[in-house]
Amino acid sequence: MSANMDETVSVGYEAWADALRSDRILGVSCSDCGATYGTPISVCHDCGSRNLESVDLPTEGTLYSVTRVEVPPTGFEGPYHVGIVQVGAARVTARIETDADDAPPEIDDSVVFSGVMETDDGLPAPVFTTETS
Amino acid sequence: MTRASVVGTGMTTFGVHESSLPELFARAALSAYDDAGVDPADIDAFYFGNAMGGQTENDTHLAPTLATEVGLAGVPAQRFEDACATSANAFKNAVQAVEAGIHDTILVGGVERCTPETGKGTGEMTRIFASASHRQYEQPTGLTFPGVFALLTKRHMHEYGTTEEQLAHVAVKNHGNGTHNPRAHFGSETTVEEVLDSPIVADPFHLMDCCPFSDGAAAVVVTSDDSAASFDGPVDVTGVGHATDLVPLGLKPTLHATQAARDAATQAYEQAGVTADEIDFAEVHDCFTGAEVLASEAIGFFEDGQGGPAAEAGRTALDGDRPINPSGGLKAKGHPIGATGVAQIVELTEQLRGEAGDRQLDDPQRGLAHNLGGDAGTTVISIMEART
Ligand SMILES: [Zn+2]
Repeated sequence: MSANMDETVSVGYEAWADALRSDRILGVSCSDCGATYGTPISVCHDCGSRNLESVDLPTEGTLYSVTRVEVPPTGFEGPYHVGIVQVGAARVTARIETDADDAPPEIDDSVVFSGVMETDDGLPAPVFTTETS
Repeated sequence: MTRASVVGTGMTTFGVHESSLPELFARAALSAYDDAGVDPADIDAFYFGNAMGGQTENDTHLAPTLATEVGLAGVPAQRFEDACATSANAFKNAVQAVEAGIHDTILVGGVERCTPETGKGTGEMTRIFASASHRQYEQPTGLTFPGVFALLTKRHMHEYGTTEEQLAHVAVKNHGNGTHNPRAHFGSETTVEEVLDSPIVADPFHLMDCCPFSDGAAAVVVTSDDSAASFDGPVDVTGVGHATDLVPLGLKPTLHATQAARDAATQAYEQAGVTADEIDFAEVHDCFTGAEVLASEAIGFFEDGQGGPAAEAGRTALDGDRPINPSGGLKAKGHPIGATGVAQIVELTEQLRGEAGDRQLDDPQRGLAHNLGGDAGTTVISIMEART
């Protein structure tokens, strides 16, 4: 049993967060049907398999959607951009940054994984930056 | 086929309330008793929704507390939580329970306080609402709920050319409807210019694209098909669909589809044996103007991509061919989270009884309620019909 539990942990949130802090974005891929997910889950949504393996997602992608948050929750200082980034076959939610004099990020813009931010309570989130053309 | 009937409704004004949650809820519950002509002794169970009382007011285990307040101590009482779809889920479970013969007559309701009366300001409430997004994979980015619906809506705008002006028309229409609803949080009209000139909350949403933080309560008495005939003015529940979608947002195959709403609508239409074309009006979950446009397509009132143009053309107005949110919707009526789902059932019942006053539609026979929770992760769709 303990081996199984260890296996689960190896593709779970802790692994995802550790990888993020080492500049890697981990998704999971189903060994049985090949489906890829941008964030770890324990059971494949497409086929029900538990055989999910960590995969490194590409660090370059395009913006699938993006918004500028001007009224932030407690613990954050706005305004800032949050987007959903298409990286290969998967999507991840991330903070989106631009150079100060760049235009605001828009859907279909190319973005590159550029680091990790951390909340006051210690939760990491990926940061992507729009590529200057 | 009738699954259950609503035989009594009650609702507080939505807005700012000083009352405690139990006392606020009691106002809605007691007027539902009176409308149904029942005493607490006639109620067999209590199905109740409150989404965030633990976070906003340090108040949990509310079902027996509220049951005690309204004379129901002793009956089975349970609380439901599904973010903004909280009390629609309580309603669904009550319909199933009377249909299955587990209980005959049930009080269903919801209550929530979200205004600064809770002691919480905008930043703190924004954080509490964001707790309905994924704790690990979304909250750390600073994503807010206006932000969630902004991401859905921005993709819809990208796919179909939906415009900010079209979104503003949703706010204008719902504010107009709200002026005819004495229980609405906002009783004033607005204009497209006023919406577009208001400050950005999360683009494309301006402040006037967003529903307010509200306090309020709503309650209905639900009874079995067999017992309904002994009440005045029963309105029948003929379908209740309930579906979930992948969470977080990044896992949803098509972000702007709001797939749970489509799946729940399919179930509800099938149960009721009708199509979208046979529904005379809908109350949909317009927490943000873009959410109404997406909902109007997901329930099949309009083809995908046509929700924006339809709003702009006035098709969803009280005198349009597809009226949506005659109550003023969340946008104008207000959105006390856990009360919203049952408040939609209250509006359907009043419209189908012909008791909706200045906002009464022209003899509607069938209405639909669309109550969405979280990042479109939960949707409950209910169909109700006038008894002929
Ligand atoms: Zn699979």
